[in-house]
Amino acid sequence: MAEKLMFMITHGLDHPEHATIPFVMAVAALASDVEAVIGLQADGVEIAVKGRADSVAAEGFPPLSKLMNDYKELGGKILICGPCVKSRQIDPETQLVENAEVVAAARFVVELTSATNALSY
Amino acid sequence: MCAMDVAELGTLTAAEVIDARGAACPGPLLEARKGMGKVAIGDVIEVWSSDPVTKTDIGAWAGKVGHEFLGVIEDDGYDRVFIRRGK
Repeated sequence: MAEKLMFMITHGLDHPEHATIPFVMAVAALASDVEAVIGLQADGVEIAVKGRADSVAAEGFPPLSKLMNDYKELGGKILICGPCVKSRQIDPETQLVENAEVVAAARFVVELTSATNALSY
Repeated sequence: MCAMDVAELGTLTAAEVIDARGAACPGPLLEARKGMGKVAIGDVIEVWSSDPVTKTDIGAWAGKVGHEFLGVIEDDGYDRVFIRRGK
């Protein structure tokens, strides 16, 4: 079975480290030939809004926007909680970064159960 | 575990030297990955990093993806990390 890691992020602008570290891990995973999927729920969906990650930088780490760009260039995908997007009045058609996909619970279940390991931040 | 000591590493000529000084994790790792794509199997790349965790991180990465971590020379404020392309 191919190795796959899933990272669930539930923090965004409120907690830069919790938003940043999973992208560090996911980038390292993809660079190591391990599949990586990032899932955003609750306040975590904020960082997938275009431009919003530009202001997020955790000390000791690259800026979040750079990490998100590295992740995209390595083919990483971001799954975003549909109800969380809707409740924050985020327009999924125009406001989200291009490698984002709005999904619901069943898709998260499929991704999580097919992962070798899953981590929640 | 390093495959070569410092004296042996000093005799190597890297096919690609990557200056990743100033970059934080995972920057040096990504630069190493990019650099490895530019050299032939069996060639050596040398990554310069001022991040002290790079030497262990690249060692772990190399073992994971099938390259050979050769060792590290500590220079003035940065590490010179040597890896041989294995695949």
